[in-house]
Amino acid sequence: MKLVTFFYDEQERIGAIDQSGNVVDLINAYASYLRIDRAAEAARLAAAALGRDMIEFLKRGDKAIDAARIALKHAVTDGGADNVVERHRVRLMAPVPRPGALVSAGKNFSDHVAEMSSKTGPVAPVAFLKLPGSVIGPEDDISHPPEVKNLDYEVELAVIIGKPCVDVGLHEAMDYVAGYASFNDISARDIIRRENKSGIHLMGKSFPGFAPMGPYLVTSDEVPDPQNLKLWLRVNGETRQDSNLTYMIFKIRDMIAYWSQMGLNPGDVLTTGTPRGVAAGRKPDQVPWWLKPGDVVEAEVEGLGCLRNRVIAE
Amino acid sequence: MKLYLGLSENSLPNQTRIFGELDGRLVDLQMACAAYLTQAEGDKANAYELASYYFPETLAGFLEWGEPAQKLLDQVMSFVTKSGVRELRGPGGEKLAYDSTDVRVLPPLQNPQKSFVIGFSDRARTEALPPAEIPTGYYKLPQTFVTTGAPVIWPKFSQELDADGGIAIVIGKAGKRIAPEKAWDHVAGAMLIIDITARDINKREGLTTNNLLGKNFPSSTCVAPALLLGKDKQNLLALEVELALDGVVKQKFALRDCVFTVEQIIAHWSVLGIKPGDWLAIGASMALQGDRLQNPVSLKIGSTIRCASKTIGALSHQVVAAGGLRR
Repeated sequence: MKLVTFFYDEQERIGAIDQSGNVVDLINAYASYLRIDRAAEAARLAAAALGRDMIEFLKRGDKAIDAARIALKHAVTDGGADNVVERHRVRLMAPVPRPGALVSAGKNFSDHVAEMSSKTGPVAPVAFLKLPGSVIGPEDDISHPPEVKNLDYEVELAVIIGKPCVDVGLHEAMDYVAGYASFNDISARDIIRRENKSGIHLMGKSFPGFAPMGPYLVTSDEVPDPQNLKLWLRVNGETRQDSNLTYMIFKIRDMIAYWSQMGLNPGDVLTTGTPRGVAAGRKPDQVPWWLKPGDVVEAEVEGLGCLRNRVIAE
Repeated sequence: MKLYLGLSENSLPNQTRIFGELDGRLVDLQMACAAYLTQAEGDKANAYELASYYFPETLAGFLEWGEPAQKLLDQVMSFVTKSGVRELRGPGGEKLAYDSTDVRVLPPLQNPQKSFVIGFSDRARTEALPPAEIPTGYYKLPQTFVTTGAPVIWPKFSQELDADGGIAIVIGKAGKRIAPEKAWDHVAGAMLIIDITARDINKREGLTTNNLLGKNFPSSTCVAPALLLGKDKQNLLALEVELALDGVVKQKFALRDCVFTVEQIIAHWSVLGIKPGDWLAIGASMALQGDRLQNPVSLKIGSTIRCASKTIGALSHQVVAAGGLRR
C-alpha cells in the first residue's frame, strides 16, 4: 500500500493511493464502509480506528493497516468513490510530516566516504538529528537561505519505524519497519564546516525545507528487498547521483538495531546516508558547483516514487 | 512567578494543567481563572471556556497568547491571593489549590521544536580549546525529557556517565532572524537543566563531529522544575545555579560565565525560526576547578544529582540501573 499525508479542503489528512494514482481519504472511506446512519458517529469511529495523522495511524499498528486496506478496497470497488480525490487536486505532504526523531546517517556509503576524503569509514553507525521542522513534501520548494553559500543535495532512503523499538537485535530489526520513502538530505556545506570548527553541526542540516520526503510511505510488504534498490538524483534533468543501497556500510538492519538503543517510536525516521555524487565531492565538476535558486532537484529510490523540489531564494 | 505543568488527582490522563505557586501550594490556573472570571467579572456563562482558552493543556499554548495571557495571569494570581489560596474554590466548588506532593509535575514544555544545548560555551571549557567562533549546539529530543524526582536510568550501552548543570532560556515570542538588540523581547523566562552525557559514546561520536546517542537516551535531559517567568535581563543574568553530586557542590554557573551572550545565541539560532516553548540552554557548566572534561561530574548507580537555584527551585534525581537500583 502507498500511504500518504495530503492537504485538501484546508485540512491535513491521511490517505492511500489507488491503482489509477488518485488519493483515497482513508477516514472518509472507512466511515462510509461502516455504513452507520449518523454521519458524525461514523466519522468519529473511523478516526478512532485510523488516527488523525500518520503517527497516530502508525501507533495503531496492524489494526490500522487492516482498516486502511478495507477503506481502500471500499473506495475502489464498493461505491465509496466519493472518497477518492483526483491526484492533481491535492497537495501531498511528507508521509510523516512531523517525525518525532529524524535520524540521518552520515558517511555510510563506501563511494561517498572516498569522495569526501575521509580516510576510513566509521567503526559504529554515525548519525545526526535533523530537526523535524525541516521536513517538506515531495513537491514543495527547498528554500535557499540567504546565509547559505554552498547548498548541496543527498539522495537517501527513509526508513519509517512502525512499532516502539528498544534494544532490538539484528535478526528482528526489520520487523519494526512500517515502510519506506525517498528522501533528500539537503545540506549547507559552508554552515556545516563552520559549525564543525566550533563544535558540532546542527544548523547546516536543519533549515526549514532541508528534508524533502515522500511522495508515499510504501508499506514494507511491498518492498521485499530494501537493501538492494537503486537510487539516483538529477538536477535540472542531469543525473548527478546514481548508485544502489547495496553499497551501504552499515545496513538498514544495523542502523535500526544500533539506534534502537536510544529508543525509537512509531513515525520516527532513519535515513540511510547518501552515495557518491554530492556537489561537495563530485569529481567531474571542474569548478565548484552548488544548488542555486531555480534549480529543480529530483531524488528517487527505485519503486518508491520521485521527489521533485524546486530551489527558491528565501 | 513560577509555572508548572502537571496532573492533579482530578486530571484525566493527558489532561495536563498549568499550575502557579502561591504560599507553597500549587494553584490550578485554569480553574482559578474560571473562578476569577465568575466572581470578579461576573461572566459565569463563558468562564470555563475562556479559562481553558488562556490556560490550555500546554505551557507553550499559554506562552503563545503573549502579553494578554500574562496580564490575565497576574490578575488571577492577585485574585487568588485576595480570596485566600486555602479557601478559594472553582465556580462549581471544585478544588483548585493542591499540596505540591499531590501534583505530578511534568517537564513543562513537552514537545518543543527546538530544544538545544549550546556546547563549548563556558570560559573554563574553552581555555583548553581554540575559542569557538559561533555558539554551536546540539538537539535534545523531547522523548529524553524528565523532571525532578524521576530516576536517571543508566543506559546499557555506556560505562561512563556524567552530568552538567545549566540554564535553559525559554522563548516566549516567535521570530526569525532576530537582531541581537531585540533578542530579550523574545524571552519568556528560564528553567534549570541537567544534561546527562554518556561520555564514552560521546567521545567516539565526537570524532565524526556528531553527538546523538551519547546525548539522547531516555532521562538524559532533566528540565525545570518550574518555568520562571520574566524576561528582565538583569534578573536572569543574576541567576546562580549549583550542581551537587551526593550533597557536594561540583559546578557553579551563571549566564554571565558563558562566552556567548544570550543576545548572540538567540540571534544565531533564530535564523531557523523560533517559537514559544522552544528553549536554548547554556549548559556545559563551569567546573569548580579547571576544565570540566578533566573533572567531570561522574555518576555511579545510586548517585543523587541536584541542580538548584534560589529562584527557580531544584531538580533532584537518583541514578538507577536499567531495571532497578543494582546493576
